[in-house]
Amino acid sequence: MLVKFNLNGLEKEVNVKANEYLLDTLRSIGVKSVKKGCNASSCGVCTVLLDDKPVLSCSILTVRVAGHKVETVESIQEEAAKLSECFSKEGADQCGYCNAAFALMVHALRKENPNPSAEEIKEYLKGNLCRCTGYQSQQKAIRAYLGGEEK
Amino acid sequence: MKANSYVSVGSWQEAYKLLKASPKNKIIGGGLWLKKGNAQVDTLIDLSRLNLKKIEDKGAYIEIGSMVSQRELEQSSLIKGLSNGVISEAVSQIMGPAFRNVATVGGSVYGKYGFSDLIAVLLGFEVELQFYPSKTMSLEEYLAQPGFYDGILTHIRIQKKDARAFFKKVCLTSLDYPILNICITKGEKYVVVVGSRPLVATRLTKTMEYLNNGGSDFKEAARIAATEIKVGDSIATKGEYRKELVKVYVERGLEEVNK
Ligand SMILES: Cc1cc2nc3c(=O)[nH]c(=O)nc-3n(C[C@H](O)[C@H](O)[C@H](O)COP(=O)(O)OP(=O)(O)OC[C@H]3O[C@@H](n4cnc5c(N)ncnc54)[C@H](O)[C@@H]3O)c2cc1C
Repeated sequence: MLVKFNLNGLEKEVNVKANEYLLDTLRSIGVKSVKKGCNASSCGVCTVLLDDKPVLSCSILTVRVAGHKVETVESIQEEAAKLSECFSKEGADQCGYCNAAFALMVHALRKENPNPSAEEIKEYLKGNLCRCTGYQSQQKAIRAYLGGEEK
Repeated sequence: MKANSYVSVGSWQEAYKLLKASPKNKIIGGGLWLKKGNAQVDTLIDLSRLNLKKIEDKGAYIEIGSMVSQRELEQSSLIKGLSNGVISEAVSQIMGPAFRNVATVGGSVYGKYGFSDLIAVLLGFEVELQFYPSKTMSLEEYLAQPGFYDGILTHIRIQKKDARAFFKKVCLTSLDYPILNICITKGEKYVVVVGSRPLVATRLTKTMEYLNNGGSDFKEAARIAATEIKVGDSIATKGEYRKELVKVYVERGLEEVNK
């Protein structure tokens, strides 16, 4: 099936099977920042933005994004670089596998709720797993990035 | 998941004709459960073009299209305004926002999942399910039927009520399936619901009878609840433990809705 969608501001056309998932399509056309983790809708590392909302690309069929806007971390480069700085200051990075998804989630959170409390940040990010850090340093880094002191 | 073809239908007639054409043709809501169950589908029927992503105030009730996502439901001001926002609260505890942006109300209700937090909280209200072609039944009636109704779930209707409400999801870790969920609403009458037993949620009729006939000893209500509830073992926990949880949380819930 021929599917046309907008990826990071550019029109794309892909030929996919009915049961192909967006994660596999994106990786097959070279977007390797989107990672495969559990591939079972549970870990969040495959997160992308679909019409500005975070979704799990491992669980969205590519045919369903026809005519829609898909964004990966490449579309928020500047923000991701700033968030990265905060991550490294707090020692919140280890393997980095989950970072792109975290950056997209933080971007979406900021749009929905520009001034979140620590609890709201935790809630928003609870579906994004990190197997290295234990989350404390990430929480601190994200709070620093969002410009918030402890609330 | 295997699927040979995918059709985004333009009408109810087209959707239903396709659904009836083969038992291997399936409606796709968010598709999360179809994926999880590695469904073997011939044609996936997508209802996205049928205008089902709406939550509307219809006076006595709120009507929710089956393609509304869990996240849209949770964030709706109509739903937040209903009985201290208990439905929003319950749904917000399902996985993370990126998951809830995909999962649909239709797929969640139609599937009759034993663990369902949405079904447990909806049973605290009077809820009607609308199917195409023209069939309406209460959520309770639908859950009591064996198997699944052979039609398309188009809308659910929640009767408005201004109740005090309590919801508790008990799970081993926050992203896990619940090992028990409890909903209590107190409007003109009490409704007490327990789900993830691990069977699908049910109303506790004896407990409700006690409370609705003036019974005011919450410990006694909790004892009745733990006696009448039918529980079983699952990989996550034992039935006996579920009964203990029922005792604790029914009492706590009753205290909460009477504050
Ligand atoms: C990893 C994981 C964890 C989960 N954890 C929880 C949890 O903790 N608590 C909880 O409550 N739920 C949980 N769920 C269930 C989830 O919240 C949804 O209820 C579930 O995925 C079904 O929604 P869906 O939109 O994905 O349905 P789909 O997968 O699209 O559909 C499910 C079934 O319903 C049918 N169907 C869908 N829409 C219609 C319709 N309109 N008419 C007729 N038939 C229809 C489909 O053909 C299919 O048989 C979890 C699911 C997964 C995959």
